[in-house]
Amino acid sequence: MNPSPPTTPALALTGIGKRFAGVVALSDVDWSVERGEIHALCGENGAGKSTLLKILAGVHPAGSYTGDYQIFGQPARLPDVAAARAMGVAIIHQELALCDELSVAENMTLGMERTGRWGFLDHRRARLDAHAVLARLGTGLQPQDRVSLLSVGQRQMVEIGRALLQRSRVLILDEPTASLSAQEVTVLLRLLHTLRAQGTTCIYVSHRLPELSEIADRVTVLRDGRRVLTAPMQSVSSAEIVSAMCGRTLLSADAVADPLRPPPTPSAVLTVRELSVGTPSDPLHDRLQQISFTLHAGEILGLAGLLGAGRSELLRHLYGAYGHRRHGDVTLHGHPYHPASPEQALLAGVALVSEDRRRDGLVLDHPVHWNLSLSSLRALSTRLGLLDAQREVRRNLAMGENVHIKSAAGAGTFRLNAGSLSGGNQQKVALGKALLTDPQVLLLDEPTRGVDLLAKHDIYQLIDALCRRGMAVLVASSELPELLRLCHRVLVLRAGRLVCQLPADQLSEQSLLLAAAQGVAPPASDDRADLLP
Amino acid sequence: MNQPPPSAARPRPPIPMWVALALVLLLLTLGFGIALPQFLTARNLSLLLIEYAITGILALGMLLVILPGHVDLSAGSGVGLIGGIAAVLMVRHAVPAPLAMGLALLIALLLWRAQGWLVVRQGIPAFIVTLGGLLIGKGLFWLTIHNTTVPIASGNTDNLLSLLTTYYLPQQVSLGILILVAAILGWLFLADVRAEHAHRLTTGRLSLPLPELPFVGWLIIVQSLLVLILLCGRFRGVPLPLLLLGLVGSGVYVLTKHTRLGRHLYAIGGNEEAARLSGVPVARVVLAAFTILGGLVALTGFLQTAYAGASTTTVGELMELDAVAACVIGGASLRGGRGEVSGVLLGALIMVVLLNGLSLWAVPPEARLIARGLVLGLSAWLDTRLQAKGSRAA
Repeated sequence: MNPSPPTTPALALTGIGKRFAGVVALSDVDWSVERGEIHALCGENGAGKSTLLKILAGVHPAGSYTGDYQIFGQPARLPDVAAARAMGVAIIHQELALCDELSVAENMTLGMERTGRWGFLDHRRARLDAHAVLARLGTGLQPQDRVSLLSVGQRQMVEIGRALLQRSRVLILDEPTASLSAQEVTVLLRLLHTLRAQGTTCIYVSHRLPELSEIADRVTVLRDGRRVLTAPMQSVSSAEIVSAMCGRTLLSADAVADPLRPPPTPSAVLTVRELSVGTPSDPLHDRLQQISFTLHAGEILGLAGLLGAGRSELLRHLYGAYGHRRHGDVTLHGHPYHPASPEQALLAGVALVSEDRRRDGLVLDHPVHWNLSLSSLRALSTRLGLLDAQREVRRNLAMGENVHIKSAAGAGTFRLNAGSLSGGNQQKVALGKALLTDPQVLLLDEPTRGVDLLAKHDIYQLIDALCRRGMAVLVASSELPELLRLCHRVLVLRAGRLVCQLPADQLSEQSLLLAAAQGVAPPASDDRADLLP
Repeated sequence: MNQPPPSAARPRPPIPMWVALALVLLLLTLGFGIALPQFLTARNLSLLLIEYAITGILALGMLLVILPGHVDLSAGSGVGLIGGIAAVLMVRHAVPAPLAMGLALLIALLLWRAQGWLVVRQGIPAFIVTLGGLLIGKGLFWLTIHNTTVPIASGNTDNLLSLLTTYYLPQQVSLGILILVAAILGWLFLADVRAEHAHRLTTGRLSLPLPELPFVGWLIIVQSLLVLILLCGRFRGVPLPLLLLGLVGSGVYVLTKHTRLGRHLYAIGGNEEAARLSGVPVARVVLAAFTILGGLVALTGFLQTAYAGASTTTVGELMELDAVAACVIGGASLRGGRGEVSGVLLGALIMVVLLNGLSLWAVPPEARLIARGLVLGLSAWLDTRLQAKGSRAA
């Protein structure tokens, strides 16, 4: 209970370790965040960033990890998120958690509403409290504004304001600029400067190095669950940070393309000419404009681009699951191809493995076996309309082998609910489900997101094998090394337009980055370098 | 949070729900049996089985729309309406019974297809669509029968509609059916065991509570059916509705477990977006579920009207809630994606035993209403409890 001396750090971690299903997510991390600093946290996907954040914010409760965690010198044995908030640590997630239909003030005081003498809500007090914080942040927001009318950036301000109103002293911002416009980013960065001046400590997680060098006092890099670098921001260059992030030697085969892979055949499978697609909500607004390309048999064609460039939209449109075709035509094996639904796309021989397997890829509370079959039940139907259970089992077991679904449960894995598998196995189930439809064109949206290194390796090998058998693969990824590893050729999209096509011999991270950012207003183009590995 | 690693986790053991349901049923039966001498008589048992068949058929239909995450509140007034249409056609317009029932069935299919259309094509929540359907159906029903009582047969003559609940199967026929059922079940069990040995993976033909002991499961089922037939023989025989329930139950079981449509129903309830992206024609599937439900509402309407002896303004009242309760008691999730035919059949039995016992006990109707409400609330609570557990396990 002694007031901690002013020199104690805001957060101090000693020897933090955490495992999931035997896989080490964090090991022996010592880390301290000083009071009033903005501390950047970087690392590749799977480096352990989100696990670390979840420990800090009480999502992973005390006892589920090893090591010691102190907040302002007090031992923090947090049972849940509320306890972390009570000790002054608040996390602001990428997906914001606000009630759209409530006002700014109502959102900011949610869960800690003040009541008057008769137990009624004190609206005036709530507005005043909210106003005070908003003014301190220098935002133009009014307490009575309805949240549904605010932009993403403004909503973030509301979340930050809410954390401050709850007397948070440490703010954790998880990729706060991922969905902000360049202008909103500037506003956010200015706000963080204000907060720092007022003594708030910030942990800032981002891939965008230019932002970090502008805002952060110190930077920490995680790699493979370990802390590999902590340094004052001025003393390290972007290049040093990048090499700390991806300086791995593990599975170096995954860094280069398969040398034995044959070049694509000259036979065109999917031809897209001058394709323009309107958004579902506003069909007159073109989300994709004038896109033309050809996908050949045995070719792995990459789709690169910044967030919001339209990669997923293009894949989903080709799968009959997005938008309304305004112009242009698509042919599949020379025949017009215009799927109105995923069902029709599958019938035509086009399959998609979606970006977010948990949200729209798998039915998590049903078994693996069941999930594998879901897209290809037509092939299992007998003449009476019943499903051939024997054939289903045989076929799915074979596909399980093919995509390397494996766990400690052995063959019993097939009976487990898909939701209980690791991310890598889930992704393999999603892939297996798509492959069981026997497609000629495979559309992959972020095929290795949230997948461990071994599974990533398996998936790359599988894609190579498919390509050797003549499948045409279109793969969208925000990880440049992945595109370099997999693709014969890469298309670069920007703001819904095809910027350029890069053949294999011109592929490098620099060329891709340059193409993806090309044409953005000069100062903003540096801010939006979220394509860094 | 200190859970075992997911890769080693076993699926939730399926026993507790079953044991709990069987126990509740046993306690109810014992309690009523001791308190009411007339409860366990062959005559009451026969009536109870008819009531069970009626509630069970409607609940099975309800399951089909609950699986993809919808609900039908209009089923009860639909039961009255469709039975009323058949009765009015027969008695007031002298239409032959089979034709009258055929027309009423057609109307039911159209009405439920229309409701399904409003749900999937217009995107109105099923709760609202069918709440409107409840009110409109009730109004149409009273309009059809002019707020009077329409008998289902003129004089003492029998027709197809009245025979639905007054016909009893001869004992030899019942036993013959039993042998057939035993043979089919035995064959399926054997195939299942063989597949299990071959692949260490169940084909899921029969997901009974005792998957490890298929023969015991078979024996229990066949013996209980035999006892049931013998008991029924002490009154007039197996009532026809029970056979209909058996047929509908098998049909819905095969539909949910062994057809594309069934898989798709579970997939939509489990994760509609994933189902859509997996190529499931979501709108068509839900429309089909509503249409089949319409057909089963019609069948229930005929049975319930025949059981009441006439179409009166109260026929079918609150039956939609009994059907929903039967599903939920039987382990179906109102959020969709979870529910089994066997569970629904058990849930319906519990509901019917409770209602039958309470009415025999001369419990006043107001108290019976309250008891029904309590059972519904209790089962919904069970549902959320189980879901909380399920999500924690996931």
